[in-house]
Amino acid sequence: MSEVVAEAALVEGKTQAGVRYRAKDKTPRSRRSKLRLRNTLLGWSFIAPNFIGFALLTLLPILALFYVSFTDWNAFGQANWIGLDNFRRLFTKEPNFEIALKNTLYYTVLHVPLTMAASLGLAILLNRKLKGVTFFRTAAFFPYICSIVAVAVVWNALFHPEYGPINEVLRFIGIDDPPRWTVSKEWAMPAVVIVGTWREMGYYMLLYLAGLQTIPREQYEAASLDGASSWQQFLYVTWPGLRPQTFFIAVMLTIGSMKVFDLVLVMTDGGPGTATLVLSQLIWNKSFKETGQFGYASSIAVVLFVICLVFTLVQFFVNKRNQK
Amino acid sequence: MTTLALDRPFKRPTTRRKVRSTLVRVLLYICLAAVAVFLLLPFFWMVVSSLKRDIDVFSVPIQWIPDAFRWEHYQEIWGVEPWKGSSMLDWLRNTLILSVVVTFLQVLTGSFAAYGFSRIRFPGRDVLFLGYIATIAVPWQAYMVPQFLLMSQAGLVDTLWSMIVLQAFGAFGVFLMKQFYETIPEELSESARIDGLSEYGIWARIMVPLTGPAIASLALLTFVNTWNDYLGPRIYLRSPENFTIQLGLQLFRSNPDVATRWDLLFTGSVLSVLPIAIIFLAGQKYFVEGIATSGMKS
Amino acid sequence: MKMQKALALGIAAVIAISLAGCSSDDPSTDPNGSATGPVELTVSGWSLSTTPEFQVLADAFMAENQDIKVVIKEYDAADYETLMLTDMSAGTAPDIITIKQAKFTSLWVQGGQLLDVSDVVAGLGPEVSGSSSYVVDGASYAVAYRQDHWVLFYNKDLFDQAGVAYPDGTWTWDDYATAAKALSAALGQGVFGTYEHSWQSTLQGFANTQSPGANPSLVLNGEDYGYMKPYYERVLDLQASGAQESYANLTTNKLTYQGQFGKQFAAMLPMGSWYVATLTSQQASGDADGFAWGIAPIPQYDSSTTGLDKMPVTFGDPTGFAINKNIDSAKVDAAKKWLDFVASEKAGVELAKIGIVSSVSTSAVTEAYFAMPGIATDDLSKFAMSAHKTGPENPVSLNIQEIQSILNEAHSAIMSESGSVDSELAIARDKIKLILS
Repeated sequence: MSEVVAEAALVEGKTQAGVRYRAKDKTPRSRRSKLRLRNTLLGWSFIAPNFIGFALLTLLPILALFYVSFTDWNAFGQANWIGLDNFRRLFTKEPNFEIALKNTLYYTVLHVPLTMAASLGLAILLNRKLKGVTFFRTAAFFPYICSIVAVAVVWNALFHPEYGPINEVLRFIGIDDPPRWTVSKEWAMPAVVIVGTWREMGYYMLLYLAGLQTIPREQYEAASLDGASSWQQFLYVTWPGLRPQTFFIAVMLTIGSMKVFDLVLVMTDGGPGTATLVLSQLIWNKSFKETGQFGYASSIAVVLFVICLVFTLVQFFVNKRNQK
Repeated sequence: MTTLALDRPFKRPTTRRKVRSTLVRVLLYICLAAVAVFLLLPFFWMVVSSLKRDIDVFSVPIQWIPDAFRWEHYQEIWGVEPWKGSSMLDWLRNTLILSVVVTFLQVLTGSFAAYGFSRIRFPGRDVLFLGYIATIAVPWQAYMVPQFLLMSQAGLVDTLWSMIVLQAFGAFGVFLMKQFYETIPEELSESARIDGLSEYGIWARIMVPLTGPAIASLALLTFVNTWNDYLGPRIYLRSPENFTIQLGLQLFRSNPDVATRWDLLFTGSVLSVLPIAIIFLAGQKYFVEGIATSGMKS
Repeated sequence: MKMQKALALGIAAVIAISLAGCSSDDPSTDPNGSATGPVELTVSGWSLSTTPEFQVLADAFMAENQDIKVVIKEYDAADYETLMLTDMSAGTAPDIITIKQAKFTSLWVQGGQLLDVSDVVAGLGPEVSGSSSYVVDGASYAVAYRQDHWVLFYNKDLFDQAGVAYPDGTWTWDDYATAAKALSAALGQGVFGTYEHSWQSTLQGFANTQSPGANPSLVLNGEDYGYMKPYYERVLDLQASGAQESYANLTTNKLTYQGQFGKQFAAMLPMGSWYVATLTSQQASGDADGFAWGIAPIPQYDSSTTGLDKMPVTFGDPTGFAINKNIDSAKVDAAKKWLDFVASEKAGVELAKIGIVSSVSTSAVTEAYFAMPGIATDDLSKFAMSAHKTGPENPVSLNIQEIQSILNEAHSAIMSESGSVDSELAIARDKIKLILS
């Protein structure tokens, strides 16, 4: 195996990353369809082990969910087709839908860029040979593995309007009337975003760290020899080299933010009032917590899905374009 | 960003540079230490709470140092059965089995499928892939009932199997691995193909070894997510002998009138974080010093 | 090709759902007809190691009915309704379904999960209360076995220390507020006059049952929630004057009422009668301080219902047993026997012995209750526990949960002082109107 690796390294050293596979251009026309069939079978043989489990346990229930969103299903008995009634009700008679949608988007817009910047910063900071770096990397990952109850308690104490350390610092630097954080309508969501970012940055840092290893050192050496500054190295070597990870993280973070649930539940439970009520919570409330209206709750999930899909498609095409 | 070049001194550093770099290093350590405190605070609180009396766990303002350290909680927790016939040892065993099997399957099938998606061109590939990602966008709470019906028909409810099949075939691993495969130059596979390696051979002998850090991070993230999952086991695992650590720990507070034992809950939480921390520490070099880079150095 | 595949999968999923639906609609087929040998009844329960009531009832029942075996199926208390709902949808719910929160009755009835037990309820004597909370469209669906109601707990030692007179059964909420302030002022640092927990029911439950013209439809019709205003203004005043812990502290520190009252951080506590059993057991185990305490009737809206010659108005929901509609037809008689039994004086006495307020109120039950070691036995406590007019916390309606949810939003906004009483109650009214339209 080591020979293969050594050989691989040799090839990698010589070629530029990102050159596309053009095998089919060399193939004679007559054999194209045969190759296509062969490739299809080959491709599916790779995908099948995962796909069978995925289709049965995830795809099937999700398709059922789409069907259910057009019915009055209440988790028991028959599901009667009611057409667009659920969606009509959602858009005209659900006082909290617009609020939850706005809150969810607000959370996403703040949380995604913040977390990406923080996790990339941490990854670059900790991607070096430094005494104790192992400890710091582990520490960065701790918020993600810590019990969420503990996270909520400690952060709520930090945010405490009267004797929380955060407000004490703010008063010390001259802000006489600091925010009331989790007990104010304006600041509850930013507070949740801060905790969300703090909690997840270690998680995404790990992916960026792994991504940094895939960038050949030769590229830095070449850039350095050309007299590129550190910032230029970041801009022309690191950032383009991390494109696949950035795409992955952007997509996962956006979807994860749109689906945010347990963090809000333990931090503020949607309050005060409806200041931090989000879509997943609305889904949970309408299905399990309140009246078992699974058909109706499914229609909210479908709306959430469509929004996520639009976001993902945009990111997909931006990524495709940058790839070329 | 100035420090980026620090590890790679191509020119001999001058004395002034040396002084500057030492200064930068000290500043860096101070910054890192501050950040680390900030990151570890809730964990510290968990440890402190596990040493307090139950009734002192939540107090205003937070009591950071307990009156007396009750280390005996760390002994007591192994013998307590908040639900008859089910204790910490059972929960740890179940969680470990689940996490290991799920991680193994997720990494294996995920990286295998990712190869199909990233390296083999066939009609419908991109649409199928988008479908994979799209399912990530559906909140689980919304489809857990249809899923439960399926599992119930299959007779898998209240077995560890239900959690294994549920978590092992997610789209997450496929997506993650595909992104990493894209960083590997196509020329590598091509030269291997010329050498007569099949596509399966290329996956096993080139792609897998070259994506060590990615596999390590996928394994860790899957392990952690399985280890910490609450809602899934909550719905599917009913008998106390099948409980995972997260379910078991909740038993210390599930009866709000009488049985709340926050002290033991946090003792258990501290204990449940430790295995992950150990795996993380042990796996460090794989996350960061991937085989790809070490291969390049030689 | 893709389209077809997706369609096929979708159809398969739909079939799976309707199959599950059908299978839970049909009563399980029973070829033998009548059962021979002992009938086994499964009953849902929770936290068996700390909530002995299920086993106590089962043992007493089986002693009387040798041919019936009761098996308790344990659920996790925190997610009981979620788990029950998934079990019902999969057709695997037990024979006897315990209704932990009365507000789920309508949903389960509407979903065709509960058997009509009007015949059993009709046979119950006047001493049994609570079953009216399970009436949907004129039919009864469960029998209450316990019926808690809210009372005022007070710490006699702290009252003595502060030199404030004990509650005497004549208190209105204003008298209570005055006492709370006097207590705080006298007791000083860190000890509050009263502790009102963060639940919406702590305030709204009383507003809904005590306000002039109060009746169950008050909360359901979405007309105007202005009647809650006096209750909110009073508690905001208590917070501002430091006689009650602030809502911010309550929620950010996850304070427990057991800790606040049990460790003497508060001299009074309006709470449900279930806390009696908790407090006595925590004092016995040392988890709570050993102080003298008493129970008083909950303070009233005005003096028209105060005094030992009147019935104080309070609220509370029962806990009851229902029969799974899909139960094996051979077991129905046994299941009805169980329902009958849990509302008997014998069951009431057994429950009273472990500190549970039974739905049966006879002198034998009351006697057994106050024989419990550690309980307050003064006359006012006995009066508070036995004489009360209890309205439902959650009137029966399919909309109740959505309405409560919206009112809870108003509650958290008002209590955190991030919104004014008037505007938040008006927002709640508008939202509820929209839902009901």
